[in-house]
Amino acid sequence: MKKGIIIFIVLMGFKLSAQQIINGIVLNNKDIPLAGANVFLEGTYDGSTTDENGKFTFKTNETGTQTLKVSYISFETFSVIGDVAYMKDLTVKLHEDVNTLDAVVLSAGTFQAGDNSKVNVLKPLDVVTTASALGDFIGALQTLPGTATVAEDGRLFVRGGEAEETQIFIDGIRVFTPYTPTTNNSPTRGRYSPFLFDGITFSTGGYSAEFGQALSSVLLLNTIDEPDQEKTDIGIMSLGATLGNTQKWKTCSLSVNASYINLAPYNAIFPSRNEWIKPYETASGEAVFRKKYNSGLLKLYAAFDATNFELTQEDINEPEGVYFKLKNDNLYFNGSYQGVLSDTWSVSGGLSYTHGNNDLKVIDMLINDTENAIHAKVTFKKRFSNRFKLNFGTEYFVSNFNEDYSDVSTSDMVYDYNNNIEATFAESDIFLSKNLAFKSGLRLEHSELFNQFTLSPRFSLAYKTSKSSQLSLAYGDFYQNPSSNILKFNQNLKAQSTAHYILNYQFNAERKIFRAEVYFKDYNNLIKYDTDFAEFNSNYNNNGYGFAKGIDLFWRDSKTFKNTDYWVSYSFLDTKRDYRNYPSKKQPNFVNSHNLSLVGKYWINDWRSQVGFSYAFATGRTYTNPNTSGFLNEKAKVYNNLSVNWAYLISPQKILYASVNNVLGFKNINGYQYANTANGNGVFERRALQPAADQFFFVGFFWTISEDKKSNQLDNL
Amino acid sequence: MQKLVIISVIFVTSLLNAQSNYEKGMQKAFELWGSNNPIEASNMFERIANAEPDNWLPPYYAAQVNIVNSFGLRDEDELTAQLKKAQDLINDATAISKNNPEILVLQALLYTAWVAYDGATYGMTMSPKVGAIYAQAEQIAPENPRVVYCKAEWGIGGAKYFGQDTKPFCNDLERSLELFANFKPETPFHPNWGENRVKMLLESCKE
Repeated sequence: MKKGIIIFIVLMGFKLSAQQIINGIVLNNKDIPLAGANVFLEGTYDGSTTDENGKFTFKTNETGTQTLKVSYISFETFSVIGDVAYMKDLTVKLHEDVNTLDAVVLSAGTFQAGDNSKVNVLKPLDVVTTASALGDFIGALQTLPGTATVAEDGRLFVRGGEAEETQIFIDGIRVFTPYTPTTNNSPTRGRYSPFLFDGITFSTGGYSAEFGQALSSVLLLNTIDEPDQEKTDIGIMSLGATLGNTQKWKTCSLSVNASYINLAPYNAIFPSRNEWIKPYETASGEAVFRKKYNSGLLKLYAAFDATNFELTQEDINEPEGVYFKLKNDNLYFNGSYQGVLSDTWSVSGGLSYTHGNNDLKVIDMLINDTENAIHAKVTFKKRFSNRFKLNFGTEYFVSNFNEDYSDVSTSDMVYDYNNNIEATFAESDIFLSKNLAFKSGLRLEHSELFNQFTLSPRFSLAYKTSKSSQLSLAYGDFYQNPSSNILKFNQNLKAQSTAHYILNYQFNAERKIFRAEVYFKDYNNLIKYDTDFAEFNSNYNNNGYGFAKGIDLFWRDSKTFKNTDYWVSYSFLDTKRDYRNYPSKKQPNFVNSHNLSLVGKYWINDWRSQVGFSYAFATGRTYTNPNTSGFLNEKAKVYNNLSVNWAYLISPQKILYASVNNVLGFKNINGYQYANTANGNGVFERRALQPAADQFFFVGFFWTISEDKKSNQLDNL
Repeated sequence: MQKLVIISVIFVTSLLNAQSNYEKGMQKAFELWGSNNPIEASNMFERIANAEPDNWLPPYYAAQVNIVNSFGLRDEDELTAQLKKAQDLINDATAISKNNPEILVLQALLYTAWVAYDGATYGMTMSPKVGAIYAQAEQIAPENPRVVYCKAEWGIGGAKYFGQDTKPFCNDLERSLELFANFKPETPFHPNWGENRVKMLLESCKE
């Protein structure tokens, strides 16, 4: 028994003697002590928290080789493997996590809209609560700098580029026909409903090597990964009605949405400058199916819409007016998959198919054009460390265009071409520190139509100048094949090209954002032809060129005034081109030299209402006056538009929404149309190009039916 | 025989040690939290989580400390970092225990922290999420007092805002009090908080 006690004591003693003290200090990379860091031996209970001097000390009974870990919020977790006996007077230096929110961001040229991200200038809700946007994401983006005010068109014209120079992608996959058809005096809208998307990235230049066939801009829309809940949405509007439903299951969900718009009742109350024979009517349906796998997410998105209208429009050369009839059908399918392959590898890929058909009758001309297009893409991402990431992939665009043309003198002319393009790209992100980052990439494209290879380098750099400000630089070469209105007549051409040079400063603190960006764009190989319009017998070449330079300023402040959020955008643009039928270098007619946009929103808590306004100002665009010598020799008067909106929450699930576009009734003039021949006095008469209606009114009632009786459609408006 | 006694003593001691390590650790962490040392408490819970990879309680409490601590923070960067950390911990807990009503309640509280920070900005996007999570939790555990009371408290906030009757939610609070009285946590360390809050809320219901 005595012996037993001795053994017991010896064993206890052994145990006691095994107890080691581990101590040291935790510092950041500037040798400043970090208080509150968690220091512990992995897999054990032994550990401690650093004191205000960064020091820690704790005892452990562990022996031999162990892993010591030090973790601290916003820093990379440190770990060291060694014998506990030697873990004394340690000095641990933690490195700042480059993935944290206050790290430098590669943001030159980019505007983002999303939740809780530092570089966001817009929130998803802004799309629907901006007075002038009328629920259209394109309309909301037009309040950002770098966009031109081309009120009768409605598409995105970015930094001296034409609308075709901007490409739109859904979940990384190209959309070939993003805009709805309209008459030539009313703005178009984005085809896809904004509430399907929860992330919007709008890049006005210098974008990633992942994107090609866009000379000016890319707009990236990401569909919602997982809807919050099951619900039914009903909307009754002055223009039509919408109905939506979302169902959720264990690993998948389905959202469907249908809408019908008919402008007949509206036109009856508010006459427009168009003489309608059959008012604008469109029916559309969308469906999104999402399925979650253990390590991936599959999304299938399909949209169909059919639009028709028929009218007679004023024309200076046709006293009777110009007859115009359109029937458009559009089908879009997009399937995409994102998955994780291992700790460091991930993959994403997708396929889209577009079928668009336009059946037009203009005076006595019958035009039927069909576009079928496919985009397939796969990209891989490899994360070597938090500081070095590689992204590479390949894609294929197939696009077939076919047009049937006939009029009194010509019968059944057929224009048909295939524009197929292969591309591969690779890009790396390198974070030298939390304050300095690079992105460099390369894109190789091959156009089957022209049998032409193009190589585009892309580069950007960002440097953090203080806690809340940073400077960025970006450079890139971009190529794009000419659009269908050229290619249908001539395919013996080359890709048009541009180079972007961008310098960006960004200040971002406490819900205030300031951005200033200067840029220069050098255009080459633009298409030129020798007739007034692009025609089948014109002579085409790639000798066009031009430049665009300017300054974009943006300021948003959600902090200074209580319940008030506002932003101001200003763009100065100086651009000239010698392309198309231009006799010399001139400022194109889709360019405003100065653009100013002001958006304000005010939340009135007692009224449960949000009221908002947006104001746009733009200097006049060029037009050609044949009564004086020269080409694009005069400028129209300035453009003004003030719009207001009001959203009222009747109950948690019922909203009343109203908006008035151009509430002050400014008489805007987009340009002039001149007679083809001079009158008796030798003067070419003209007609002002005015919008179909100066003002636009919208009233809607939106009702959401859901389990939790809380959600509403404020984010759908 | 003596040897056997000694071996068994040592064995039992080490067994007791192993068990009490967890208990001691958890107790210590709760003490730290109680004595207003949330950072140390969170670190302690995280260390336990590290040593007990199959137990959802340590990451659950580490997340709760961070969420509770974030209410009242005014610096958005700090709030974002802290709630991101809490979200990671909730994800850890969820990976161990799926469809757990207690963890769902915590997730709803995390979203509520955003709404509390800035209702005008986050109310519209986060509210549907909160509502959907409570609906899901209620389906799984209709008799869990925290599910019933947190859902009711969330409902009272909304009803007050829209000038609607808060009576049905106050009735739910009453019901949760009964549920609290009958609630038996699985172990002393399983969630058992909220009863005092309900009493406080019921006071304001009577006003």
